[in-house]
Amino acid sequence: MTSQNTAHPEGPSASPNAAALEFRDATKRYAGSDGPAVERLSLSVPAGEICVLVGPSGCGKTTAMRMVNRMIDLTDGDILIGDRSVRDQDVTELRRGIGYVIQQIGLFPHRTIGENIATVPALLGWDAARIKARVGELLELIGLPGDHRDRYPAQLSGGQRQRVGVARALAADPPLMLMDEPFGAIDPINRGRLQDEFLRLQAEVRKTILFVTHDIDEAIKMGDRIAVLQEGGRLAQYATPAELLAHPADGFVADFVGADRALKRLALRRVRDLPLSPPDGEPPEPVLAPDDRLRDALSVLLSHGVQRARVVGPDGALQGALGVEDITRSLQP
Amino acid sequence: MSAFAQLEIRPRGGPEVSGGNCVADNGLCPDWIADNLDRYVDPLAEHVQMSLISVAIGFSIAFALALLAHRRRRLISPITQVTGILYTIPSVAAFFLLLPITGRGMTTAVIALVAYTLLIVFRNVTLGLDGVPDEARDAGRGMGLTERQLLWKVELPLAAPEILAGLRIATTTTVGLASLAFLAGAGGLGDAIFDDVNFRSNVVVAGGLCVALAVVLDLLILAAGRVLTPWTRSP
Repeated sequence: MTSQNTAHPEGPSASPNAAALEFRDATKRYAGSDGPAVERLSLSVPAGEICVLVGPSGCGKTTAMRMVNRMIDLTDGDILIGDRSVRDQDVTELRRGIGYVIQQIGLFPHRTIGENIATVPALLGWDAARIKARVGELLELIGLPGDHRDRYPAQLSGGQRQRVGVARALAADPPLMLMDEPFGAIDPINRGRLQDEFLRLQAEVRKTILFVTHDIDEAIKMGDRIAVLQEGGRLAQYATPAELLAHPADGFVADFVGADRALKRLALRRVRDLPLSPPDGEPPEPVLAPDDRLRDALSVLLSHGVQRARVVGPDGALQGALGVEDITRSLQP
Repeated sequence: MSAFAQLEIRPRGGPEVSGGNCVADNGLCPDWIADNLDRYVDPLAEHVQMSLISVAIGFSIAFALALLAHRRRRLISPITQVTGILYTIPSVAAFFLLLPITGRGMTTAVIALVAYTLLIVFRNVTLGLDGVPDEARDAGRGMGLTERQLLWKVELPLAAPEILAGLRIATTTTVGLASLAFLAGAGGLGDAIFDDVNFRSNVVVAGGLCVALAVVLDLLILAAGRVLTPWTRSP
């Protein structure tokens, strides 16, 4: 069988922004171990979406991710990027076409920030002017001052290094990014900030992203879709965050998403997502904003001991009122 | 003691030339030293040549062995053992063992000196490569560096501080050991020392030049290292 190259226009100018990713019965078995590390994993990720692989340690999520850029080779099944099998591609070319971010970030300590970001473009043989322009563009995108270009990784904070890791992965504009616990080594406060920042960035670049984490809250926050894996790399459920929280497929998933899954669902929606009722003599305090998450709104209502509160927009205009029972009703099918 | 018997004692130069009684008394004579510095030029040149050639050859061999062992890790232990045995042979014995095979002269001295650098350089290159952070390796492979690119662009630069440290130890050790190379008939500053071991001026100048050479070479490598590894200077 010859591959039909005409279907894949290549070269830097034709580089697509995002490609769909598909696992087809992807399996990894290690010689001498009882069960497979990943067993017949099948799922597809539409172009431009974040798919989070989540599960307890030993569930094979990192193995599944590393099979995509063949850091680990498939034993059976296949993985397709766009509609090309990873098996058919030269392994170094395949990797140069996929962004790669790992938990320890793995910046090269002996190279400046600019040189780190330029790693893949340099491997692809871009000329110096193009690399320089691209590095400048990426430093701006991640909000790092231009004079940081000539610093070494050791001179940056953990959060800055993490951003540089993302910029390095984005440098050659790959259609797919792999991110293995990319915020795992960051303290909780900065982690939240970096997650928000990354979601803003993703809204701009719209890459297809395979994101690995063991943290269900991070999965819910980051994922357009979530694949919950259980021991042995079996797919327990693959769904949107809302669907996963509303209808866990089985006891394992229900356990894994946690007893507070109703509250987690409320964290996914905002006051403006619900129909407001006309104001009807609510007290002046507290006041809800349309951008408040339902979880926070509920917390405000409960802590003030009131059933209903007024919703006031950022311009100060009264938009209506929302009550505890509206929020409760939003959880019902 | 046969080697010592072969040494010819050169005349010191008469007391009437310079130094007076100081020379006759085997003392430390600045005037004599000032007048006779030229007699140390050739031994110093021999010493420099012998040391640099030995370190260059020894470094090349040990570096190549370390790269080989980096790919085939089971070679590390046998290479360490063999170079370790070479390292423990007393240098005087090494020179005399080689004499019947390679004869008197520079070749014999260089072979023995090379043998002493191997363990130091091999160990330091290996340690340096082992110290490269796994995440840098993983990130490099994941971004599509070939194994060769990973070695030359990531692993060796990151191992450079250890490698240079090994080179410094190997160099100073070699300069010191080269003082015994006169036993193999290779000349050098050791030859100058044993020319007239009783004359303090001679021993101090020849010995001092030996130490100075070691220090200068050490500082040169240190300076080269600073230029080559700018990232290690960042706070």
